[in-house]
Amino acid sequence: MSDQQPSELDLQPIKRSFWRNLSPLWAVPLLSLVLALGLAWQSFSDRGVLIEILFDEASGVTAGETLIKYRDVTIGEVERVDFTEDLTKVIVYARVNKAVVPYLDEDATFWVVEPEVSARGISGLSTVLSGVYIQGAWDDRIGTAKTSFDGASTPPSVLPNYKGTRITLRAADGQMVSAGAPIFYRGLEVGRLGTPRLTSTGDAILIDAYIDAPHDKLLNSATRFWDTSGFSVSFGSGGLALNVESIATILSGGIAFDSIFENGGSISTSAVFDIYDEEAEARRSIFVGRVQNGVAVSVAFGESVSGLTPGAPVQFAGIEVGEVSEIRAQVNDENPDQAITLLASLNLDPLRLGMPNDATTEETIDFLRVSVENGMRARLATSGIFSSSLIVELVMMNDTPDASLILRGEDEPILPSVRSNIPDFTATAEGMIERINSLPIEELLDQAIKTMASIEDLAADPDLRTVAPATRTLLEDTSALINSPDLQAIPTDLRATITDLRTITEELRSADVSGTLTRALTAAETTANNLSTASENVPALIEDLRTLTAKANSLEAEALITQATTFLASADAVINTDGARALPQSLTDALDEVRLAVAELRGGGAVDNLNAALNSAQAAAESIDVAASDFRVTMADLPRLSEQLKGVLATAERVIASYGNRSDFSDETIRALRDVSDAARAVEALSRQLERDPASLLLGR
Amino acid sequence: MENTGKPTSVLTARAAGLVGCTRCGRVHDQGVALCVRCGSTLQSRDTLALQKVWAWWWAGLIAYVPANIYPMLRMTQFGRPHESSIMGGVIDLAQHGDLWVAFVVFFASIIIPIGKFIAIAYLAWSVKKGIRTRDVGRLHMYEIVEFIGRWSMIDVFVVAILTALLQMDFIVTVSPGIAAFSFTVSVVCTMISAQSFDPRTIWDTEKETPRV
Repeated sequence: MSDQQPSELDLQPIKRSFWRNLSPLWAVPLLSLVLALGLAWQSFSDRGVLIEILFDEASGVTAGETLIKYRDVTIGEVERVDFTEDLTKVIVYARVNKAVVPYLDEDATFWVVEPEVSARGISGLSTVLSGVYIQGAWDDRIGTAKTSFDGASTPPSVLPNYKGTRITLRAADGQMVSAGAPIFYRGLEVGRLGTPRLTSTGDAILIDAYIDAPHDKLLNSATRFWDTSGFSVSFGSGGLALNVESIATILSGGIAFDSIFENGGSISTSAVFDIYDEEAEARRSIFVGRVQNGVAVSVAFGESVSGLTPGAPVQFAGIEVGEVSEIRAQVNDENPDQAITLLASLNLDPLRLGMPNDATTEETIDFLRVSVENGMRARLATSGIFSSSLIVELVMMNDTPDASLILRGEDEPILPSVRSNIPDFTATAEGMIERINSLPIEELLDQAIKTMASIEDLAADPDLRTVAPATRTLLEDTSALINSPDLQAIPTDLRATITDLRTITEELRSADVSGTLTRALTAAETTANNLSTASENVPALIEDLRTLTAKANSLEAEALITQATTFLASADAVINTDGARALPQSLTDALDEVRLAVAELRGGGAVDNLNAALNSAQAAAESIDVAASDFRVTMADLPRLSEQLKGVLATAERVIASYGNRSDFSDETIRALRDVSDAARAVEALSRQLERDPASLLLGR
Repeated sequence: MENTGKPTSVLTARAAGLVGCTRCGRVHDQGVALCVRCGSTLQSRDTLALQKVWAWWWAGLIAYVPANIYPMLRMTQFGRPHESSIMGGVIDLAQHGDLWVAFVVFFASIIIPIGKFIAIAYLAWSVKKGIRTRDVGRLHMYEIVEFIGRWSMIDVFVVAILTALLQMDFIVTVSPGIAAFSFTVSVVCTMISAQSFDPRTIWDTEKETPRV
């Protein structure tokens, strides 16, 4: 059994064929190789196409990390970031999926998506953590593939496969809108704006606007756009209007539109719409478009049309029948006085004038001509109280001079106008301001300043400071005078005397002695008469009285009165002197005498003792005379008064001399005594006055 | 028995006319087909061993190429993807200053696999060419290669653990790359390659080799 083995051993060395000897395990490395190669081929074939995108700046773009996305799905990756040769741009090399490459044609755009916080919201928030990515957009048509693209710095307003309508808006001011600002239709956002750009002439701003697909049907020729940026406050003839849109529009601006009237025609793709400043204006603009076969007439206004603007309404009895389309100046050949006429062109709507819908221009003009002959005139009017803007009114005037519609062939007929009755507020205001201007305010101020300076000087004057002490001294003197017991006794004494007198009067009345009293008075008068002639004590007084009386009779009476006045004034002045202070005492004495007399009168019987009473009265009179003498002495103290008295005496002497007849003297004396009686009454009045107001004597009032 | 007088030379079982069971170690006389103890096939020398070694070796080498070219793992952090290959990872780590970690990764992922390739190739080549060495260096080399083979999977383990742990959606997500798969294939292939090697052939001389 074992000898079989060597034969087998002999067989072993036989060279088998290579293939037969080959282990089936060699399939493993083959498989491995195939797999590896397959892997390599797959990764190579999967490798995207390298495209280059040029950016002005590529903030956050990192090679190997930044992704290229389409519709938020990653389609590639940035492979390298480099500069152009002149370093003006950044080239981003990116590998993108082969599947999308055919679509990368002319309209493909790329932009860097960064986190953005704007008034319209927050976008690209995911990029805060993940870093920026590059978003691509292109349409759904395969075009000529490109590998080099210009990247945009901001996302495009609309994506290339945008469904909607693109229109162009025109605005005078680009300030109110910004790229991406929303477009509203009845408050609903239905589109957005593109980037504003200037026209080639630079006189307007053109903005591409995109209205999204279902809503773009709303666009027609009746559509008007207006700015809703922020809030607007308008203060017009209609009052105060405040419009506030959404917060977003306050910050970024916004546009709204609406169809202003029905049945607007379809629009072309290249339609250009104006952006009105506000909705009301946009709605007013209806008129321009709506006046079908509007009739143009001109009005020559003979006054300033300041405030009248194109677009201002033309009203007839409060109804808008047209608008001012143009205002221009026209050289007037016919009237050399008014070389330039201001012509306002009106566009009148025949429909609103009551004409049939199919009225021709000729018919309308004919209608106007008849109306003018009936007194229709154009006139300027203000559109509101506070408004300075003017409108044109068509009014029917009855008492105007005849005028007619001036037909000028092809040109617009001229409608006659009348002067407006607008209160020229401006002129009035100007006049008022002029008057205010002409007020001598500066002179007044100068004067005031000078006055103040004078007052200041006066106040600083040392003389003035001495006034106060002097015044105080004066007051002290006055106080001393008033407080003097003598003076204070006067009222008491007077009252007692008067009481006595009243009692006497009562008794006299009760005794019914009026007739007796009359006789007594007559006797007293006689006594006084005697007294005056007999008494040695009163010659000076009588002299005075005589001269006075003589003066009264003289031709120079007026001078005498003047002298008397002066005398009285002087006397008045004298009363204020120290001498006058002695007077009350004397008066008191005299009154005491009177009271004694009265007491005696009472005690001795009313009628029988009348003579005695009169004697007493005489004594009283004497006392009065004494007092008067004292008074005179006082007066004599004053040389000035003496001189005046001398003048009076001299005058009296002259009068007496002119009379030359002594026989008349007694008559004169009687009259003089009557005057004395008057003087006595005056004394009584004076005493009453003193009772009422003792201070008046002192103060000379 | 003829060779007993030469103490420096190694007496192989084959030279002694014996054959050992590779599974249970029972020694039989040459010519016995099946192990009387465990019933496994007795073979003095695996005639196809070197072919197997080379086949697996090539497979491992081929797989090792994409393992180094393609990214080992793909980490997405806050939406930002980041892929790193083995060598790229080593360089990244070194640049971050983790030189020790970088060295470990480099050693485990580059040095060891390449060393294994070289060692296995050398063993297979030297056996094929019948280069005689008197020492036991080749046996030690073989043992090291076999021992270290299981540790070459460190990279793959790391990737597997990271993939399992770091799945936090947007914040960070780790997924294994093609290289991880390739590397695994490569390591498995080299291990099989090393196991396929019949270390008994180390002792065969050039003259004896054809008689296997």
